[in-house]
Amino acid sequence: MDKNTDMPIYAVDEKSGAQGGPVNQGSPEPETTAAAKPTRTLWSDAWGRLRKNKLAMIGAIWIIFIVIVALTCDLWAPQWLGSPTQIDSSQMSELSKLPPSAEHPFGTDALGRDVLCRVIYGSRISLSVGILATAISTVIGLVMGALAAYYGGIWDTIIMRLADIFLAFPYTLFVIVLIAVLGQSITNVFIAIGLLGWPSIARVFRSAILSVKENDYVDAARAMGASDARIVIRHIFPNSVASIVVYATMNIGGAILTESALSYLGMGVTPPTPSWGIMIEDGQTYLATQPWLMLFPGLAIITTVLAFTLLGDGLRDALDVKMKDA
Amino acid sequence: MDLKNQPVPEGSHLLEVDDLKMYFHTQDGVVKAVDGVSYNLDRGETLGVVGESGSGKSVTAMTIMGLIDMPPGKIEGGDVRYRGLSLFEMTEKQMQDIRGNDIAMVFQDPMTSLNPVYTIGRQLGEGLRLHRGYSKEQATKRAIELLDMVGIPNPEQRVKDYPHQFSGGMRQRVMIAMALACDPDILIADEPTTALDVTIQAQIIELMQEMQEKNGNAIIMITHDLGVVADVADKIMVMYAGRPVEFGTADEIFYNPVHPYTWGLVRSIPEALVDEKKPLTPIKGNPPSLVNVPKGCSFSPRCPYATDRCRNERPDTYTTETGHYSRCHYSMDPEFVAKNAPTNSRRRAEENGAADAVAGKGGEA
Ligand SMILES: Nc1ncnc2c1ncn2[C@@H]1O[C@H](COP(=O)(O)OP(=O)(O)OP(=O)(O)O)[C@@H](O)[C@H]1O
Ligand SMILES: [Mg+2]
Repeated sequence: MDKNTDMPIYAVDEKSGAQGGPVNQGSPEPETTAAAKPTRTLWSDAWGRLRKNKLAMIGAIWIIFIVIVALTCDLWAPQWLGSPTQIDSSQMSELSKLPPSAEHPFGTDALGRDVLCRVIYGSRISLSVGILATAISTVIGLVMGALAAYYGGIWDTIIMRLADIFLAFPYTLFVIVLIAVLGQSITNVFIAIGLLGWPSIARVFRSAILSVKENDYVDAARAMGASDARIVIRHIFPNSVASIVVYATMNIGGAILTESALSYLGMGVTPPTPSWGIMIEDGQTYLATQPWLMLFPGLAIITTVLAFTLLGDGLRDALDVKMKDA
Repeated sequence: MDLKNQPVPEGSHLLEVDDLKMYFHTQDGVVKAVDGVSYNLDRGETLGVVGESGSGKSVTAMTIMGLIDMPPGKIEGGDVRYRGLSLFEMTEKQMQDIRGNDIAMVFQDPMTSLNPVYTIGRQLGEGLRLHRGYSKEQATKRAIELLDMVGIPNPEQRVKDYPHQFSGGMRQRVMIAMALACDPDILIADEPTTALDVTIQAQIIELMQEMQEKNGNAIIMITHDLGVVADVADKIMVMYAGRPVEFGTADEIFYNPVHPYTWGLVRSIPEALVDEKKPLTPIKGNPPSLVNVPKGCSFSPRCPYATDRCRNERPDTYTTETGHYSRCHYSMDPEFVAKNAPTNSRRRAEENGAADAVAGKGGEA
């Protein structure tokens, strides 16, 4: 019998689960021409869809812009706008609380420092808190979620109840208590926000694993002799990573907000290090008379958090992730 | 250590399943999914496992492979010996070495059995990298040979493709190539063709037979359709509600079945329709829930010949000297069998009995 006469069957993967494989729907593939087709990976398809999402791209461009600014500001910001921290006491009274002008685009603060320069330097704190704290939460969350979902039973019960307990506490209060215990420092802000963020990531990852685990290719890999660790790392993780990417992206925005709140409350970064939260706290006294002191750091927080949320939303659509939990 | 290269000990078979019992302990009660399965298998042989949906065919195979999650599953008795060694006494690490290398499995649904994020080549090479320590390049090279072997055109190109670029029939070929990559002794195929259309079904079955001729491996072919295994199986086990109700050579099952459930299956093969110009006779009713198996014979509620004895007393296993066994109180009663067995099966036996014994299956061990 001729072996090359397979009927073209639609290569549609209804069950690709969390990974949501974008397949060339509805295009039957005659086998003779299939080989000539360019190879499209699932990720490149997702990128194609993300690129068409305007809001997500605006978010992504804003994030890239901020990251570049934060990384390079030492090279140009002080030369242009002066030091973000140092106070020139001789000129302080003249420079204090100047409204926005060509020389000081965002005005100056009560101590005569350039607000734009401080907003620029504040992005370093915000981004590093957002990224590092999310990294800590994600690592813990992934391990916990994997243990709960893969081993189930008693592991699942213990880890998920622990997550419930964490989630039942008022989050910001919990962070403040933890910082009070650990001692106030920027490192401890990272650690506290990171430590307390894991339960939602664990939940998302757990439900993603549970849905991926149902797929036959996991059984098939086990039947090929793959170990548990190999199955989680090579088969389950890549297929649930989409939901983690989405969730972590949004989580960065959340962590930035928390850091701002902590600094505003005086529990975060210590002055004179510029942080958007501290700037708002400093500026609120002058809200009625010199609103720019509060406006610009406030705008920085809003736009950055929004950018992460928009990007996360766009990623979710592009990767077609169904987030059932959390 | 490669178990495949060890000789089968004197007096043992390649695979011996001995009164295997595996129950699920669920909140609704104990599900007796595998309840006393026994058979032997040697190299080069094909065993057909036939039964309705839910009769425990897949679970039996998964139990042999050690792929059942425990809990909720639990081995309640019996043994599985591969080359004389009990699989239940192996560590998880030893089982990992056996899976894919000595005993491999092809799953029911080719659409979901391949991981969407890896190329075909990478998945084909997985077993070789796990069991043979192949490098990436070696594995890819071998993957191309394997694709070629199972009849995928243009293997050098297709090896770089992702599963969604393959049709269902091609994916099932890939699954078979993957299972055969390490030359396993035993290939378990769990309804390998149910998700495919009829023409491709025939091709896939033919492919497996071809590979068997080349490699000499044993095949366990699971199906709910007695017709599918008619031409390929040497031995057939008919399962009902977690238990084998009849086991014998393919000829015994087709031409001399003794269990009323097997009769029902034989009567529902469409070919019988052509032969007999009679309507197909479906088996009436539904299989029992495995939590609440009837007290007597599990088939008695649906059996047209059931007596009070059937409803109250669990039948023993009646075995003939050829190893043909049945679990029916009346299967040793020639008069009962002669009167009720499907006429086509007996008539065929009479017509080509002599010819079949010679030209038919070589596997009557
Ligand atoms: N994890 C489990 N927990 C409880 N019961 C289970 C579990 N897995 C399977 N079963 C039960 O075991 C029985 C046998 O299932 P199995 O999948 O082996 O059937 P099958 O003969 O392969 O059917 P099909 O032809 O539909 O594939 C079914 O009644 C099923 O409900
Ligand atoms: Mg099955």
